[in-house]
Amino acid sequence: MLDPVILIQVLWTSVASASFQVLFTIAFALVLKVTGIWNFTQPALMGVAFYAMYVAVNWFALPLLLAVLAALAASAVLSAGIERIAFRALRRRAEEPITYFIFTLIFAQFVVFVLTLLFTPEPLYLLADMVPQIWLVGGVVVTSWDLIAIVLSAGMTAALWHWLRATRQGQFMIAVADNADLAEIYGIDKERSFLAAMLLAALFTTAGTYLFATKLALFPELPLHVMLFAVAATILGGIGSVFGAAAAAVAISVLQQFSVLVIASRWQPLVVFAILFIAIILFPNGVRWRGRQRIADGRHSEDGGAAAASSVTTQD
Amino acid sequence: MEFLASMAIGVGIFVILASSFNLIIGHGGLMSIAHPIFFALGGYGSALLARDLGLGVPPAILLGALVAGAASVALSLPALRVSGDYLVIASIGFQLGLLQIIKNLDWTGGAGGLANIRPLFATYTIDTKLAYVAVVGVLAVATVLAVRGLVAGPYGRAITAMRDDEEAFRSLGRNATAIKVTLFAIGSMFAGLAGALYAHYYLYLSPEQFEILYSAAMLTMVVVGGVRTTWGPALGALLLQVLPQAINFLKLPTALTGPLQGIIFTGLVLFFLFTRPQGLLGTRWSPPARPEDDDDAPPAGDIMPPKTGVP
Amino acid sequence: MTTALEVRGLTKRFGGIVVAESIAARFEAGRIVGLIGPNGAGKSSFFNLVTGVVPADAGAVLINGTDATRLPMHARARLGVARTWQHVRLFASLTVLENLMIAPRRYHAETPLALVAPGRHETERRLRERAMAQLEKVRMVDFAQRRPGELSFGKQRLISLARALMNDGNVLLLDEPMAGVEGPAYEAIKALVRAEAAGGRAVCIVEHNISFVRDLCDSALFMFQGRILRAGTVSELIASPELTELYFGT
Repeated sequence: MLDPVILIQVLWTSVASASFQVLFTIAFALVLKVTGIWNFTQPALMGVAFYAMYVAVNWFALPLLLAVLAALAASAVLSAGIERIAFRALRRRAEEPITYFIFTLIFAQFVVFVLTLLFTPEPLYLLADMVPQIWLVGGVVVTSWDLIAIVLSAGMTAALWHWLRATRQGQFMIAVADNADLAEIYGIDKERSFLAAMLLAALFTTAGTYLFATKLALFPELPLHVMLFAVAATILGGIGSVFGAAAAAVAISVLQQFSVLVIASRWQPLVVFAILFIAIILFPNGVRWRGRQRIADGRHSEDGGAAAASSVTTQD
Repeated sequence: MEFLASMAIGVGIFVILASSFNLIIGHGGLMSIAHPIFFALGGYGSALLARDLGLGVPPAILLGALVAGAASVALSLPALRVSGDYLVIASIGFQLGLLQIIKNLDWTGGAGGLANIRPLFATYTIDTKLAYVAVVGVLAVATVLAVRGLVAGPYGRAITAMRDDEEAFRSLGRNATAIKVTLFAIGSMFAGLAGALYAHYYLYLSPEQFEILYSAAMLTMVVVGGVRTTWGPALGALLLQVLPQAINFLKLPTALTGPLQGIIFTGLVLFFLFTRPQGLLGTRWSPPARPEDDDDAPPAGDIMPPKTGVP
Repeated sequence: MTTALEVRGLTKRFGGIVVAESIAARFEAGRIVGLIGPNGAGKSSFFNLVTGVVPADAGAVLINGTDATRLPMHARARLGVARTWQHVRLFASLTVLENLMIAPRRYHAETPLALVAPGRHETERRLRERAMAQLEKVRMVDFAQRRPGELSFGKQRLISLARALMNDGNVLLLDEPMAGVEGPAYEAIKALVRAEAAGGRAVCIVEHNISFVRDLCDSALFMFQGRILRAGTVSELIASPELTELYFGT
């Protein structure tokens, strides 16, 4: 059981499988950070993306790339619709958090029912043949899926990191995340940032769904369960820290895979729940490392800083 | 007649569930989707206590309800210590996690379910069925009145203030967390009662009867009926028993009826959320008239709509 | 002279913003202290730290000698700390009278057991009487059955003061109590605060209305960027050119 090759295999496989979880987590954590909403409609995005891909490939015989683009378009439209129609209406009415909660959860469930009606509750595979290329590297099995997954998720994460730090829109989004009303005073359109966050969530969710779908089968209820992972990672990584959440997603995935070495596989799904509970009890503010403090005038902050916001406070 | 008795019992159980859920999310303002799991804990708890400890069914039912209430504290206390947001997350984990455990344990019957539950009455004649309807009916009305009693008077005053502005409420010396944990426990206890009543009538429990989708059903009953109204959830419960029957009349293939019912009731919630948020029985809040001459307008955010509905 | 409230080394940072830096101060029973300073100095934040709305990074809060630093908000209120808010924060769904009835240090109906407790009607009656008495002090008795949302902002401030006075402890923190208050109400509040102090309360008032502060306060603290720069009589602080520049210059 302590064979190093097996350990490396489990580590490799778990990091590779973490890839789509990282993408789903980033989507969820980003919307939470920017809009303050626990976006439980995200499973609906995943479902719509998957079935759009499925229909494109299996009903219209489109190539996979076009199918993914179709899925992206569908999820982006849905996400934008949710933000511009539903969330905006709730904001106008100054609704309590519980109303957002009811809406997002019910909406996700609604979409699950529609998809079940259209596609049945049976698990479906995106492609008839999804066997990847396999290589043996020093005794460790490495598949082409693993490589695509890691490159895609790492690449998108890095791109987002760069976008948030280095572009104007990204900086605006951080400012809105910090304090939306204050950002408005400085002339930043907060609703545009909300929309951008939701569109990015659609992008990341679609990418994650593509990875998921090229490895596993999906049925309409599954996204609701997959979602829990993103929520646990968001809490563990610290609410407000998108990349902390992404790191937590990798950690949870690794822990979950390694748990197979010590517990029966039927209990494996419980590992995520257990981690979630531990996260809430022990680390309600996320796992914090010292040294992430921002300097008073806003330079060198971890997310590019809301320099404008730091010099004036609404608090007296 | 049999069919009506069964439906009446179904309505009664839903009324208990909806009313108690209204206490938690409507009055308490607590976000939780774990109501189905407490329904399950009450059912499984009561059934197993009757089977393994040889308890009479009525005390088993009461104990099942208490088990559900006590278990809720394990969920609410750690979560609410942090914040209200965490409760919803924790409730998802609790709901899915406990259900997973039930599916994998032998002594709960596992995924196959728990059968041969001891019935409340020894025989199943039309008379005992009607007696069961009466039992459930009385308990359903008692639940509705209990919830109303809780939220009236000085305790209800505290609950309302807590919902209006929790921070200001705490600063006055009120222990908001204790109140929330209490409301959650009472609500979950009633859910457990409903579960026990269900178990000792249908005599069979399976994990799939307690999936998250039932949270959507309960939300529908509360939202459509009217959040924080006394009889709204009961009306919602009635609708949710009657509507699926109406759909059954269409004689669609069974693969379609399930999702179709689901689409209708989640669609109803969405419709009401955006067009009539106060539900069927609630009254719409409108901003107060300002008879005073007001040069000194309040800062933004000072005036919030009251969060009450109609009794 | 009892020290009703004491803070030592109170420190809090939010991200990179220093909200409080090693604040030390004592508030004696019977004394009225003004807390002045420009916007953003951290005055309301100081109240938040003392009352427990925000946990401090370092330092201590002592209420009548008891270390309250780790205590939750409701416990500190029960030790005798009452406050008003800059944004008033009355409960919109309750009547004015109910707003006060929910505010004593110990409330008789914090659990459902209160619904069956013997003598509960008597307790409610006495609570109602006490609440009416506080409303009398601010001359708002006529508005007892109204909802706060129907009333002018100035009236809401008076009611929130009455609500704070329902707490019979000996620390009173007032956050801009005079904003929007004019005419006879102005003098009435001054008299009321003096009377409360004379009755044994330690009072601290955050205010921008300098003449009010000068009339009423025995001493004042000048805050800037989370620090107390100077303590002294109001006249001394006003007379200082550096402080004046900090106050108006930023």
